[in-house]
Amino acid sequence: MVKVTIDGLEIEVEEETTILKAARQLGITIPALCYNELIEPYAVCRLCVVELQRGQRTRLVTACNYPLRESVVIRTNSERVQRLRRMNIELLMARAPGAKIIQDLAAEMGIERTRFPLEDSDEKCILCGLCVQACSDVVQAYALGFSERGSKRVIGPPYDTTPETCILCGACAYFCPTGHIKMTDTDGRILHSELTLGPNAAITLPFRQAIPNVPRVNPDYCIHMKTGGCELCVKVCQKEAINFTELAQDSFEEFEVGAVIMATGFQDFDPTPMKLYGYGVLPNVLTSDEFERMNNAASPTGGRIVMENGEEPRSIAILHCIGSRDEHYHKYCSRVCCMYELNFAHLVNVKTSAEVYQLYIDMRSFGKGYEEFYQRILDEGVNVIRGKGAEVVPAYQKRRGEGGLLVCCEDTLIGKYREIPVDMVVLCTALEARADAAEIGRKFNISTGADGWFIEAHPKLAPVSTTTEGIFLAGVCQGAKDIPDSVAQGAAAAAQVMKMFCQGELLMDGAYAEIVEDICSGCRICNGLCPYNAITYDIEKKVSAVNPAMCKACGTCVAACPSGAITGRHFTDEQIYAQIEGILA
Amino acid sequence: MSFEPKIIGILCNWCSYTGADLAGTARMKYPANMRSVRVMCSGRVDPGFIFDALAHGADGVLICGCHPGDCHYVEGNYKCMRRIPLTQRLLQDMGIDPRRLRLEWVSASEGGRFQKIVTEFTEEIRALGPLKLRDMKFDMNRPDRYSLMAEAGDTVHTY
Amino acid sequence: MKPYRINLMVCAGTGCVANHSFEIKKALEDEVKKRGLENEVQVVATGCNGFCAEGPLMVVQPEGIFYHQVTIKDIPHLVEEHFLKGRPVQKLMYVPPDAKAPIPKMSDISFFNRQMLIALRNRGLIDPEKIDEAIGRGAYSALAKVLTAMTPPEVVSLIKASGLRGRGGGGFPTGIKWETCRKAHGEPKYIICNADEGDPGAFMDRSIIEGDPHSVLEGMLIGAYAIGSHHGYIYIRQEYPLARERLTIAVQQAREYGLLGDNIFGTGFQFDIKVARGAGAFVCGESTALMASIEGRVGEPRAKYIHTVEHGLWNLPTCLNNVETWATVPEIILKGAEWFTSIGTGDVSKNPWGGSKGTKVFSLTGKVKNTGLVEVPMGITLREIIYDIGGGIPKGKQFKSVQTGGPSGGFLPASLLDLQVDYEQLTEAGSMMGSGGMVVMDEDNCMVDMAKYFLAFTQDESCGKCTPCREGTMRMLETLERITQGKGREEDIQLLEDLSQFVMDASLCALGGSAPNPVLTSLRYFREEYITHIRDKKCPAHVCRELNVYTIDPGLCVTKGHGCGVCRRQCPENAITGEKNVAHVVSQELCKKCGVCYDVCKFDAVKVA
Repeated sequence: MVKVTIDGLEIEVEEETTILKAARQLGITIPALCYNELIEPYAVCRLCVVELQRGQRTRLVTACNYPLRESVVIRTNSERVQRLRRMNIELLMARAPGAKIIQDLAAEMGIERTRFPLEDSDEKCILCGLCVQACSDVVQAYALGFSERGSKRVIGPPYDTTPETCILCGACAYFCPTGHIKMTDTDGRILHSELTLGPNAAITLPFRQAIPNVPRVNPDYCIHMKTGGCELCVKVCQKEAINFTELAQDSFEEFEVGAVIMATGFQDFDPTPMKLYGYGVLPNVLTSDEFERMNNAASPTGGRIVMENGEEPRSIAILHCIGSRDEHYHKYCSRVCCMYELNFAHLVNVKTSAEVYQLYIDMRSFGKGYEEFYQRILDEGVNVIRGKGAEVVPAYQKRRGEGGLLVCCEDTLIGKYREIPVDMVVLCTALEARADAAEIGRKFNISTGADGWFIEAHPKLAPVSTTTEGIFLAGVCQGAKDIPDSVAQGAAAAAQVMKMFCQGELLMDGAYAEIVEDICSGCRICNGLCPYNAITYDIEKKVSAVNPAMCKACGTCVAACPSGAITGRHFTDEQIYAQIEGILA
Repeated sequence: MSFEPKIIGILCNWCSYTGADLAGTARMKYPANMRSVRVMCSGRVDPGFIFDALAHGADGVLICGCHPGDCHYVEGNYKCMRRIPLTQRLLQDMGIDPRRLRLEWVSASEGGRFQKIVTEFTEEIRALGPLKLRDMKFDMNRPDRYSLMAEAGDTVHTY
Repeated sequence: MKPYRINLMVCAGTGCVANHSFEIKKALEDEVKKRGLENEVQVVATGCNGFCAEGPLMVVQPEGIFYHQVTIKDIPHLVEEHFLKGRPVQKLMYVPPDAKAPIPKMSDISFFNRQMLIALRNRGLIDPEKIDEAIGRGAYSALAKVLTAMTPPEVVSLIKASGLRGRGGGGFPTGIKWETCRKAHGEPKYIICNADEGDPGAFMDRSIIEGDPHSVLEGMLIGAYAIGSHHGYIYIRQEYPLARERLTIAVQQAREYGLLGDNIFGTGFQFDIKVARGAGAFVCGESTALMASIEGRVGEPRAKYIHTVEHGLWNLPTCLNNVETWATVPEIILKGAEWFTSIGTGDVSKNPWGGSKGTKVFSLTGKVKNTGLVEVPMGITLREIIYDIGGGIPKGKQFKSVQTGGPSGGFLPASLLDLQVDYEQLTEAGSMMGSGGMVVMDEDNCMVDMAKYFLAFTQDESCGKCTPCREGTMRMLETLERITQGKGREEDIQLLEDLSQFVMDASLCALGGSAPNPVLTSLRYFREEYITHIRDKKCPAHVCRELNVYTIDPGLCVTKGHGCGVCRRQCPENAITGEKNVAHVVSQELCKKCGVCYDVCKFDAVKVA
C-alpha cells in the first residue's frame, strides 16, 4: 500500500494503482478521452496529464497509466495542468468540431471557441485509438488500424476496404468516446434478432421462461469463442462467475446407473433443400417452429404475428407434410402436424383478422377430441384445401396479387389448379430422427431403423424395451408421436425400470456365447466383431472371454472363430449341423 | 419323376424367420423344397453350415437376414454380407456353381417377398439340376474334407 | 601482412564514394601496376575521414601527406611525381581558406589537429572490411581484457566511474543503465545498438560503422558481458547501404574469428548479433519505437512508465545505446576511467549527471568554411569549433546563430559563442547535445524560416500517436507559415509560446518533447525578427519571399545594363515592363515574388526590400 496526496486529499491505495483510479476513488474527476477501464491505457489523448511532485522535483505524467509506487503529491488541477488541458481541448475542438464530448469539456472549462481553423465540421474522430485497441487487443479481429502518420493519421480498415476479418461485433462503436463510429448494415451482414427470432447478443437468457433462468454465453455470437480475445465479461463480473476455461471445454462426468431411458427426441426437418418453398430465400416463409416461437408471449415479438416489416399479415398459408409423407424425404407421417396446424389456424383467427389457408394431403385428426377441434376450425372459417402445396413464389413473378407470396397447389376436391396470394407461409416440417441418433445408438448398443428412429424390442409386445437389457425408449426418439403418447411411453419406460429394480435380480436369456479357454488361440478376431463389446481380451491368460451379461447371442463371433473355440449356447455348431443333416437325411 | 431340389434355408430369428412365419400365417404358397434352420442372426452363419448342407445332399442354400441397417444386433448382417460372396468364390473354386448359394434380405413384414424369393430360388436350382456329389459322409474332422467335395463337384468351368 | 613502402589511404566513406572514390581507387591500382610498383605501394579503402566537403580524399602514409579533391585525370601525374620521383603534388594539397600556401601534412591542418579522436580513433587508418587491420590497431584487446581479467560488476563500475553518458541525445549515464539492466529480472536480456541515425545532416554513426565497425561490435560485446546478455541487435536504417554492408561483413568476420558466437575467447561467454533494418522513420530512433520496429510492429513509441532496461524488447530487459557510445566503450576499458574523466567538464565522481566527460562527434555544417565530421573534447567552446576547426564563416559574412543537436535542437546566438559544449550548458541555453548536429547560420538566414524548416521536418516525422505532437506541431507549423507569408498576427507569438509549452510538456515521447526547441529558442534569442515579420511584414534576411518587394534601380538598369531585358524575359508573370535602354519597372500587382529577376540580373539593378 502507498499513501499519496491528490489535490490535498490523502488516500492509501495498493501499489501499481494508477493515478486516475486513485483520483476516482477520491471523487476527483480527471478528464480522459482515450481511457476505458476495460482496455489497457494507450495514453495518447494526454488530457489526463497531471502534476506529480516527488521530493523537490515536479514533473508531468499521464494519470491514466502512471502507476503509484511511492508516496507522492499529485495536483490534478494546478494552473499549469489547466493551461495544458485548455490548449489540448482547443486543438481537439479544431480537429473534431462535431464531437459533442469535446464541446462539453470546452464549455466546462469556459472555452468558447478555438483559435485554430476548423477541420471538417462533422468530423468526430479524435484519433484516440480506442477502437483500434478494442479491435486488436480485445476482440483480436485486427480489422481496424492506423494508416498514414502525423497529422495525416487516419483510422480505418486495411486499404480502406470492407475488412474480411471484421466480425461485426460493434466493439469499436461501443468504445468510441465521441460517437464517430456507427454501425450500419450496408450489406445485410448483421443478423436482426427480429428476423432470426432469436437473441443475438452473446450473453443472454436463452428465452424468458428458460430453466434455469440464468444467462448463458452463446458461442455463435461470443467474440471470445470466435477470436480467443475479449473476455470483457470476465473482467466485469464481480462474482467471478464466468470461467472461460470451463466454458471452452466440455467436461465429462461419469455416473453408474442401473438403467437408461432414451428420450433423445427429434429434430426439425430443414426445408432449405426444398427449393420450391423458398425457405431462407423468400421473406415471410417460416417453419412451424419459428411460427410457434413468434406466437409465444415471451418471443421477440411478444406473441404478435407480424411480418418482417413489422406489419400484421393479411393472409397466411399453412402447408402440411413438408418433408413427411414424401418419397424424396421421409415416407412416414409425422403424426403431430395436422393438429398443431389447426391450432395455428385458431391462433391466427384469435390474434389477427388474417385469412388462413390450410393445404393438406389427408386430415388426420385421430385422437380424443381431435376431430371435434377440426370441426371447430372449419366453423371458424378457415379455408381448408385438400391438396399439397406445390410451390411458393414471390407474387410479382406470376401476377400482381394482394399478398407478397403466391402459393401454388392443386385443389383435388374441385380438381383445379390454384394460386393463392398470401403474405406469409408457414411450412409444417417433418419430425425426423436426430442426426446423431445412429451414433448414440451404437454407444448404447441399440439399433436404429431405416428412418433413423430407435428400434424397440418388439413392436407390440415390448414397445418401450430395446434389445439391450436395461435400456428403454420413451418419446419421439422411437418414432413420431404427440405429447400424450410420449407421456404414456415415458411412464411405461419408468415402470419397466421400476419392475427391473424391484426384482432385485436380473433375469438373463440362456442364450449367449462362451469361449473355451483351452481352444482359444488369442487371435482377438472376435473382439472387434462383437457389436456389444462383450468380449474382452485377458492379457495375462492370452485368451478372450465373453461377458454373458452383455452378450446378446447373435453368434457373429461363433461363426468367425477360426479355432472353433466359441460356442453359441442354444445355437451350437453341433445343434445346427444336426438340424441340417436331419433335414437332409 | 421330375427333379425336386433339396434346399436348406438359414434364416435369422428377427426378420427372415418372422417373415417366413408371416408368409405362413398369411397362407402364401411357396415350394416345399426349402427347409429352414433358425439362427439368431445372419452373422451366425458359419460357411461350414453351407458346406455341410451341400455335402449332405442339399442342392442349394438360401441365407436370409434383416435388411442392411435394420439388424437387430446392430451389424451382424454386414458380417454375413461379407462372408457369403467369399463362400461363393470358394464354392466356385471347388467346382460348385456359386448360384447354389444365395443371400437375401427379408424383413419381418415381407411375407410376400419371402414367398417370391423361395419360389424363384427353387426354380433356379431346379434348372441347375441336382448337385452330384459322390456319396460320402461329410466328416468335419477329416483334413481333406473340402477337396473330397471338390472332386465330386459340378462340372463348372472355373476362371 | 606484407609491409609496403607506401600506403595510399583512399577515403571510402559515403561522401567520397559519391565523389567516385571507388573509381579513383581502381585507377590508382591500375596505374601503380602499370608502373610496376604493386609490391611497394598498397591502395587501401578506408572509412570516412570527416572532411567530407573536400572529398574525394586520400592520405599517403606513412608520411601523412593529405590530398583532396582528387580526380581520375590527376592520377598518372600523381603516381609518377610522388611515388616514383618522391615529389608530393602541390596542386592536390589542401589550401586553407584565406591562405596562399598549401598544407602538405594532414596533421598540420587545423580541421584535423584540433580534434581528439576516441570514437573515431581508427578513422582513415584501416580498411573497414578487413578485421585483421582493425585487430592490428588494437580492436578486441579491450574485450580480451574484460573477458579474462574482469568480472561483470567490475566492468559496470568502471563504466560508471568514467562518467560516460549516452551519445544518442538523452545523455543518460551509461554505467547506471548497464547496472539497472544487469539487476533487472527476466531472461534473456538484449543489447541493442541504435544506428537509426535520422537527424538530417548528422552522419557520425554512419561514419563510425563505415570506418570502424569492429569498435561497435567490441563495445556491444563488452556491454553484453557486463549485463549478462547473449543476444544483440544492431538497428540500422535502410538508407545506409554501405554501412549496412560493412557491418554485415564485420559481423561475419567476427564470427569466423570466434569473436561472436559460442565460447568467445574460450571463456564460455556467448553472444551473437543480428542486424535489423529500419525503414527510415525518424521516430524509430526513439528507443521504444525502435524496439517496436524490431518486434515487427508499427514503429511508434509506447506510453508506459516502465523503463526499457526492465521491460524492453519483447518485454524483456534491454540495454540500448547509440553507435558512438558503444564505440567509445573499448577505449575506456583499455585506458581506464581516470583517463576518460580527465577529459571534459564537471565532476562525475559523486553524481553521474554532474558532468560531461570524454569527447563528442559533431557534424559541422551550414555557413562554415570547413564542413565535416569532427570529434572534440567536451567543454570545448562553440567558438573554437566554428572558428578554429570550421575556419569561420565564408564570404566574410556575419555569424548569426548555431543550432546544435539536430532538428529538435535550439538556436544559439552569437552572444553564446563562448558557451562550453556539454550536456548541461546546452540544455540550459535552450538547446541540447542531441546526436551532435551543428548547423551554422549567417546573416543571410532568416530565423523564422529556419524554425519553420526544422519544425516542418519534425512535424512530418511525427508518428501522430499523441495529440500534442500530432495536432500541436501541425498548428505551430501553420502559424509559422502564416508569419513567413506576411499574414502573421500580433497574438501569434503568444500562441506559438503556448503551443510550444504544451507540446513539450504533454507529448508522449522525446520527439514531441523537443520538437518546439527551434521555435522557443528563436523566440528567445531572435524575437525581434518575429516582430519585424508580423508588424512590418518584412523579412530582414530577405528569405521569406512573400514578404519581399522587388524593385529595379532605374539608374543602374540604364547606365550599366542598358535595359538588357533579361529580367523581363525571365519573369514568369510578365510583371516587368521596359525596353532597350529604358529603365525596367516591376509591377507590384503582378509580381508573385519568385525572385527570378533578382537572380538573373547581372548588374545588381534589381533590389529587394
